Amino acid sequence: MERLNEIRLEGLLPEVFAGEGAGESEVWRRTLTFRRGATYMIEAASGAGKSSLCSFIYGARSDYQGTLTFDGTDAGSLSIAQWQRLRRESLAYLPQEPGLFGELTAMENIELKRALTGDVSAAQAERWMKELGVDMRRDYKASKLSVGQQQRVALIRSLCQPFDFLLLDEPVSHLDEANNRLAASIILSEARRREAAVIATSVGNPLLIEADIRLRL
Amino acid sequence: MKLINRLLRKNTSPSRVAGFIISNFIGLAIIAGGVQFYEDASSLWESDDSFVNSDYLVVNKKVTSEDMLDGNAKTFSEEEIEDLRRQPWVRGTGEFQATDYRVWATVGNGGRDMETMLFFESIPDRFVEAAGAGWGFREGDREVPVIISKDYLTLYNFGFAGSAGLPKISEQLVGGIPLGLDLSSDDGARRLHLTGRVVGFSNRLNTILVPESFMEWSNRTLGSGERKAPSRLIIDVSRPGDVAIGDYLEAHGLEVAGDKSGSSASYLLRVVTGIVLAVGLLITVLSLFILMLSVSLLMEKNRQTLHRLLMLGYDTGAVARPYEGIVVWASGAACVLAVGSALLLRCFYIGALEGLGATGGGWLPGMAAGVALTVVIIAVNVMAVRRKVKASWRL
Repeated sequence: MERLNEIRLEGLLPEVFAGEGAGESEVWRRTLTFRRGATYMIEAASGAGKSSLCSFIYGARSDYQGTLTFDGTDAGSLSIAQWQRLRRESLAYLPQEPGLFGELTAMENIELKRALTGDVSAAQAERWMKELGVDMRRDYKASKLSVGQQQRVALIRSLCQPFDFLLLDEPVSHLDEANNRLAASIILSEARRREAAVIATSVGNPLLIEADIRLRL
Repeated sequence: MKLINRLLRKNTSPSRVAGFIISNFIGLAIIAGGVQFYEDASSLWESDDSFVNSDYLVVNKKVTSEDMLDGNAKTFSEEEIEDLRRQPWVRGTGEFQATDYRVWATVGNGGRDMETMLFFESIPDRFVEAAGAGWGFREGDREVPVIISKDYLTLYNFGFAGSAGLPKISEQLVGGIPLGLDLSSDDGARRLHLTGRVVGFSNRLNTILVPESFMEWSNRTLGSGERKAPSRLIIDVSRPGDVAIGDYLEAHGLEVAGDKSGSSASYLLRVVTGIVLAVGLLITVLSLFILMLSVSLLMEKNRQTLHRLLMLGYDTGAVARPYEGIVVWASGAACVLAVGSALLLRCFYIGALEGLGATGGGWLPGMAAGVALTVVIIAVNVMAVRRKVKASWRL
């Protein structure tokens, strides 16, 4: 499996922002490289486009100007099959909306991702559930879980694959400080174990993690 | 992967899938049954003539009472042949060439020889399809292959033999009896003795046929050297059912030899089969759209789920598979039911058909038609499913 070493943004800007003033962003319209192994914290006001940034990098959207490259390969030139491979092997993503399947149980939701790559053992997933305090909700339908519980289940799901970059879009927005710390420690240790980068966004309740680089969006 | 199936098959409407299976079953059963019946029944009318292609017509001029009085030779002039060749439905023509000498045939019958005067005709070799099976003659050969009209054997067996107290003879037996042939020129000056052997019987050639090469050689050896205009023509037609052919023949006072009522019955069978197959095909095509619409609707309802699975990294193929499964399963079920019914139906009529003298075409054609259409239905739907999955990749 080839590892992804850097994600480079050159003059990247959501199309909806075109025509607006240059602003003070340290990300949009700049040349910026995310490197594997480092930890990034992107802070933004609401509506500054953090979810857009994650969506662009994860390939969920392509309505941007400028270029986005993965180790020199233009993201715009990737086929669906190549994107799907990136999503299984290099990019892990926790969207702001947990996006769990309501009709499946918490464990089944995790299993759906875990079984796809088999990178993480079922026992490990169960341990994370216990650490984050959602193990007693293991067999509950996801639709019956609170938003905070859903967020924790979705976080575990996003860790159940190999990755070089972990994209976290407001990962702890619905968590209290204790759970925030627990989540941060799991994320950090998993990222270190895989020598991966963490790119986390926040609008005020940041993941309690020591970031190497802080950027204002 | 059970979880994926559970997610993606949510909202499946059993009644819609059943609707498809029933309509597809009806369409396929009509087609498979129709094809099967056509294959089984067509032998009733088209008793296979291995010597002459069914696209060939043998034509001659109608003989009327006046012709007998004025001694008008009913032969074709060069202009008439040329005019015929210019017709759009004519691929080629060949002339019947007759013997320009006398023929006496002798059949040894256990000491009691039977003798008769005979005639031969030949047509260009390209019109004779049995060309490989001992057909042909080279100068110096002592044996001449002969194809005779099946009607002659029928006349003998059911007309003559019965009334004269002679045994009936089979086609195989005739093939084994050598025919003594005495050929002599009109003035009797030149004579040849050869042996003839019947190599086949034809339904469509109302004559005694010898190879073209033999005809040319014998006419050269024994004939007067005078070329006679042909009284019969064999025509290779490109569209055998074309009404223009009948109109032309009618207008020029020509008749088709060996044109039994069978050909119109076979035409009728073809038309009826055509209508039945068209109806079956229409129903099948409609059922194909029912399946496409049901699967498309199902995928539309599950579009969010599809998209989320793709966001998780599932391949488009893996996401398409549950829907392809529905397509293959439903089409396969309809196909098995339809082919089964067609073959069951065959069990009921095949006895009656065989009683009428049909040689069944085997059960393969009906099944092949059903399976081929099912493969097309599955292929079209699988392509539609894949396109739809790709469309859900980005919402």
